[in-house]
Amino acid sequence: MTIQSDSVLPATLRDRWPYAPRYANVNGWRMHYVDEGEGDPVVLLHGNPTWGFLYRDMIAPLVSAGRRVIVPDMIGFGLSEKPTREQAHTLDGHTANLTALMRRLDLTRIALVCHDWGGPTGLSFAMSNPERIRALTVMSTWAWPMPPAEFHTRIFPWRMMHAPLVGPYLLGNHKALAGRGVYLSVVDREKFAATAQSAYEDVLPDPASRLLTWVWPRWIPLDREARAFQRFEWLERKLSQSTFPTQIIWGREDEVFDAETFSNRFKRMMPHAEGPHIVTGRHFLQEDSGVEIAWLIGTFLDHLDAKEKAL
Amino acid sequence: MTGVSVIDKQDMSGKRLEFGLAEDRLGHYPEFRTFFANAFDLEHKGLSEPGFVRTPSGTPYALVFVGRSGEPFPCGVEISAVVDALEPIDGEMLDRDLWAVLRWMIAGVGGAWTVEDLDRTGRLYRVPAAAP
Repeated sequence: MTIQSDSVLPATLRDRWPYAPRYANVNGWRMHYVDEGEGDPVVLLHGNPTWGFLYRDMIAPLVSAGRRVIVPDMIGFGLSEKPTREQAHTLDGHTANLTALMRRLDLTRIALVCHDWGGPTGLSFAMSNPERIRALTVMSTWAWPMPPAEFHTRIFPWRMMHAPLVGPYLLGNHKALAGRGVYLSVVDREKFAATAQSAYEDVLPDPASRLLTWVWPRWIPLDREARAFQRFEWLERKLSQSTFPTQIIWGREDEVFDAETFSNRFKRMMPHAEGPHIVTGRHFLQEDSGVEIAWLIGTFLDHLDAKEKAL
Repeated sequence: MTGVSVIDKQDMSGKRLEFGLAEDRLGHYPEFRTFFANAFDLEHKGLSEPGFVRTPSGTPYALVFVGRSGEPFPCGVEISAVVDALEPIDGEMLDRDLWAVLRWMIAGVGGAWTVEDLDRTGRLYRVPAAAP
């Protein structure tokens, strides 16, 4: 039923990912996470098809700045348990997985950082557990029901890539997303191929382990009948009413969730949000600007600290 | 155009089914489910027998359709090569055959779905079977 991957971190990655592995049983699944530093927690959430490694350039600076940094691997990705039935993966289920970890660690005053599917899941957690949240950061994600972008309505390549049988073949058998897909969605592809690509491919070594890479795209609502439509309606409504300190960070070269459309929509939804701060980056902007993004988050939280002290 | 054709039920004596590809959610785009239902007359045959196709390599493939309570039939499909019982399969041949089945499927679904777009997608992600 599941693929256990508690000791699969390839030797070539251990130098670049030196963090102690921690595991928690959440919502019936075994979730891997790192938990470094002390202070108010910063929770860094990844999406499809990445894992905590995406934040490798951000953990040390945030810890040095006096933050406790927690980076979970979504169930189905990274070093977390990987269910082999698609029925194990639902949008609400993934939110419940995250909620279980946050409650297990009894985190409060959370600065939540959301990327890709870390947005719909993390923001749903935040809106349903507001007493645990201090601040939000959104990056290359969305939180509304209709198609996130014109890109997602097109058959080539988006709908074709995860179409029935095509998805399991391309994204499963041929690791199209975990391999070339991420490669195409960074700016410095040469550096990425040399230093990071294997980290995303090696933790999803077999077609069955890549299940979530084609299941997640199918959860993006394309019409009102879609499975997640009502959840996204709820999320948009709740976020529009939220007053959490928020900042928006976006990749200048992002073609999937383009900055003009998406960062501005978040800004309209939450006019009090800081930003958008535009950095070098396509969809996986942490790959090109991790240190700068860590600085932006650290500065944002430092300002919050100062405001609280001044009260 | 795709070199794949529907064939009669195969004699399985001395053969086995070598698993190739599975889909749990054929109805994600309902036109795909409609295509398979029509191609194999599933409204009448239901779960009584698999469908079979022959691929350009000459290998027959069985399509085992899957039903799930509360969902339109078929909700899924498993595609397996019909091979000699004790012989390993050629992995590259299997991959090319599966690609041919996908092209046949997309051509059959039709409408906005085109084999050209499938081929472009395959080339974008450097699938060997999609190479020109």
